[in-house]
Amino acid sequence: MSDMSEALARFGVYLRIAWRNLWRNRRRTAVILTAIVLGVWSMILLGALMRGLAEEMVENGIRTLTGHVQIHAERYRSDPVAAHPIRDPEAVTATIREVLGPGARWVSRVRVPVVVDTARKTGGATLVGIDVEREPELSFIGPDAIVDGRFLEPGEAGAVVVGRALLDEMETELGHKLVLLAQDAHDASVSRAFRIVGVYRAELEATEKQYLFVSKEAADGWLALDGAVSEIAVELADHRQAEGAARKLRAALVADGVGGEDGQPFQVASWRELLPVQRAVLDIFEGFVQLWYVVVFIAMGFGVVNTILMAIFERVRELGLLRALGMRPGAIVVEVLMEAVMMLLIGAAAGNLLGWASVAALAVHGIDLSAMAAGMELAGLSRVVYPVVTRSDLLLANGVVLILGVVVSLYPAVKASRFTPVEAMRQG
Amino acid sequence: MSIELRMAWRNVWRNPRRTWLTVAAIAFACLVLVFMLSFQLGSYASMIDSSVKIEAGHLQVQAEGYQDDREMRQVVRDPAAVERALSGIPEIEAFTRRASAFAVVSSEDRTYGALVIGVDPVHEPEVSSLESLVREGSFLSSTGSSSGTGGDGALVGELLARNLQVGLGDELTVIGQGRDGSVAATVLVVRGIFSSGIDDFDRSAVHMPLATFQEVFAMGDAVHEVVAVGRDLWDVPEIVRRLRGALAGISQTPPLVVLDWNELMPGLLQSIQVDLVSGLIFYVALILVVAFSILNTFLMAFLERTRELGVMMAIGTTPGRLGRLLLLESLFLTGVGIAVGIALGCAVTLYFQVHGIDVSGANELLARFGISGRMYPRLSVLSALVGPLLVLVVTGAAALYPALKIRRLRPVEALTHV
Amino acid sequence: MKEVSNTMSIVACHDVAKIYHQGAVDVRALDDVDLEVEAGDFVALAGPSGSGKTTLLNLIGGLDTADAGEINVAGRNVREMSAAELAELRLRRVGFIFQSYNLIPVLSAEENAEFVMMLQGVPAAERRRRAREILDEVGLEGLYDRRPSELSGGQQQRVAVARAIVADPAIVLADEPTANLDSETGRALLETMEEMNRTKGVTFIFSTHDQMVMDHARRLVHLKDGRVDRDERREG
Repeated sequence: MSDMSEALARFGVYLRIAWRNLWRNRRRTAVILTAIVLGVWSMILLGALMRGLAEEMVENGIRTLTGHVQIHAERYRSDPVAAHPIRDPEAVTATIREVLGPGARWVSRVRVPVVVDTARKTGGATLVGIDVEREPELSFIGPDAIVDGRFLEPGEAGAVVVGRALLDEMETELGHKLVLLAQDAHDASVSRAFRIVGVYRAELEATEKQYLFVSKEAADGWLALDGAVSEIAVELADHRQAEGAARKLRAALVADGVGGEDGQPFQVASWRELLPVQRAVLDIFEGFVQLWYVVVFIAMGFGVVNTILMAIFERVRELGLLRALGMRPGAIVVEVLMEAVMMLLIGAAAGNLLGWASVAALAVHGIDLSAMAAGMELAGLSRVVYPVVTRSDLLLANGVVLILGVVVSLYPAVKASRFTPVEAMRQG
Repeated sequence: MSIELRMAWRNVWRNPRRTWLTVAAIAFACLVLVFMLSFQLGSYASMIDSSVKIEAGHLQVQAEGYQDDREMRQVVRDPAAVERALSGIPEIEAFTRRASAFAVVSSEDRTYGALVIGVDPVHEPEVSSLESLVREGSFLSSTGSSSGTGGDGALVGELLARNLQVGLGDELTVIGQGRDGSVAATVLVVRGIFSSGIDDFDRSAVHMPLATFQEVFAMGDAVHEVVAVGRDLWDVPEIVRRLRGALAGISQTPPLVVLDWNELMPGLLQSIQVDLVSGLIFYVALILVVAFSILNTFLMAFLERTRELGVMMAIGTTPGRLGRLLLLESLFLTGVGIAVGIALGCAVTLYFQVHGIDVSGANELLARFGISGRMYPRLSVLSALVGPLLVLVVTGAAALYPALKIRRLRPVEALTHV
Repeated sequence: MKEVSNTMSIVACHDVAKIYHQGAVDVRALDDVDLEVEAGDFVALAGPSGSGKTTLLNLIGGLDTADAGEINVAGRNVREMSAAELAELRLRRVGFIFQSYNLIPVLSAEENAEFVMMLQGVPAAERRRRAREILDEVGLEGLYDRRPSELSGGQQQRVAVARAIVADPAIVLADEPTANLDSETGRALLETMEEMNRTKGVTFIFSTHDQMVMDHARRLVHLKDGRVDRDERREG
């Protein structure tokens, strides 16, 4: 046991030596620390902004009636009409509760294409019959999205809520009527007039032009669905859980024998399948963030190696003396590495602090890019960017700096251990 | 004077390892910048070109207000006159006419709302990439039913075709409202199915021959858009200017306007600007990290020679001159770094310019911009030099710090420095 | 206060004092020093370390400023000169030779000699010619292109002498120039300096605690604790 305590004591001495050596040339250490701090800070902040952009896009897509996982009748995916609904939604939701627990959040909807007729114009859109009370919890639509008029009442018939952009395009107004044409559950053409009781705003103009909302009961009645629904959307805690959840649900539905009327299993899709653009963005940005970390590290890495080299070459005499006194080369390597590690730790700590502070500051209001709204829309991004930091991002950034930092510091450390007493004398 | 240059250069190489590490840091930053800027700038031009070729073209002549309101009656009354004006501008490569209307499109089982677009089968392929987007069947032909099996042809978007549950040869009934308010109705046979990768377009567009459209929708000879492409994207502003002049002679109500691709696709330029600016932020951060990373080299070059600098002052060198000398050294060092960086950057960029970078994983995203499969950086004088120039400025500023410190050096202090 | 009686005095110091503040204690490096040096003289400032000889040289050469007293070099009051004027003085009127690290390591012997002339604005061809000439005179023919690291200690000091002389100064101040050399090399260097003094009439003032050097001086000023202790004229 005394071996251990001796080693520990020695370790403590090296630590103290390393610490003091670090501050022998304060300015030089301060300069390289600044490089590390700036590097880590920019890794975290800029990485967070990139990720924020991507996550925002994903969230937007998910909140635009996609949800994390969607369940449809098999035929619905290629032919999204009322004739292909989920006839027994209770069986499905029972399976959902079974797989995801009693606290699972889901909502069912009717979603069919319609032709919209106003006095002046005709257009195409998508009608969504929603559960008026529960849908707002999962999607963007709800009383908060309404900018004019009011939201729907539960079970309300004959009322529709439309997007601001659609209202303008159809050249109609709040309070007027829209005639909608669709095909009902038996493939018969039906039409009905709905009164516009509310106008909503969404993140993207395309969304506003696309979706009309009525109560599920109104859609059910009009389209003769008799309790069937077009889709069931499930919400999870994190979009990263979607693939796994989708797989489990798929398996569970098959196992429970819950399927479509033609015996075909239901289609269970995660958002990654349903929103390929968002998926691509997230994957690209992920790769980019990792690349960014490496690039920044290389930029500061050269400086770290150079600085440690400068430090040891200043101490050739001293190091040679230590060798002459019997200190083992391995111990010198350890000591120099300790200096490097301390430097990296301090820099990383400060960089993390600044990163956290700046992310927190920006997270309040975000960065407003409304001036570039059209461009953001084209790329599918929203107008305000909020930084997002994940645990894995932090781990990776710090890991890169600390682990790679130690690796590159091996070079000067080994060099230092090789200074012989003879060289040391010569330096004087 | 040349002694100073010789001195500065030799001083740079006094500590070769330190110098090479510093050069490496600077060169790395330059390499990253040259490559990334080439990539960004290279892709912008092709992005714009590809996007506008899908539908908008480089510029369009429309009736005033049509772009926003899309009313049937907002027409270009005499497209031939417009085309004559276009022919008079040599930078114009091709042009075509289009008309469109919203209509209800029905197949045997389904009914959807769609945008019906009348296009000129002969000239449309010269202007847009529509023909190349055909996945099944064929593009439109000018004589309507090329295979003689009755009914004019239609080119339908992939998603719409799926929604309507139709394939090649199936019939579509189109019902809409004509220019004069009358009912417009016709039957089309699906001759081709196209896919642009842009969901909104693929879900809502049906193309038909322009002549038939004009007949069905009571357009007469009028159209809604005259679409033109120029030889080069950069020619567009000049073309627009000349065209406006040439069109002044044609009067109609509502008056004619010329819209360029930026007005037709407002998001395109902006999304490029956002990309450029956000890239800049990253570049500046990188350069700052590099600047501090190499600052110690500049500092050490000064600090480890304090005695020597003292001797130089003793023999009559002014602090100002010493500062200049140090700056010269720093410039040489930075210069080497930048030269190496530009060389490597150009090499790497040129390699990928030839071989391309595989970005097929992002197909869906890039389809919006008309790009697929591979992206190619494009090296230009701008992309090769702007980044390194920025590096030069920032590292030059970093080098100023020790150079300025020297001015306050006192000879006797320097001489007694250990 | 003594008056400046001899108009041939190239250096004249009166009541010169220099005080260093080290914490709570004030150290008087120089205290009430009077010294006059004639043009063309070969003077040694002798004394143990801490006696103030280096300090005095620094003050005369304008490398440092006195706290009290008057210092005239080549007819100009050094204490009233600005930093820029002092640099000019050092460039044109005063030459320095230090104990070690005299030379610019990245320049060859010839370039080191040319350096000051370059600062003075002497055209290149003439610089080269004079540099080679002076290097020959100090016994370094053929070694023009050698870097300091390629020369022996003695050779390096010769280059230092050459550089100091070639700029055509009024006085050369040498701070323990032979301290790092063995006695043989040191004597040879001293003889070179003597020859320069004789042939070109340049005043030499050097500090030393080497007896051999002291024996070569024509005038020996002993300093002790910052004051002039003895002032001997010796003819050698």
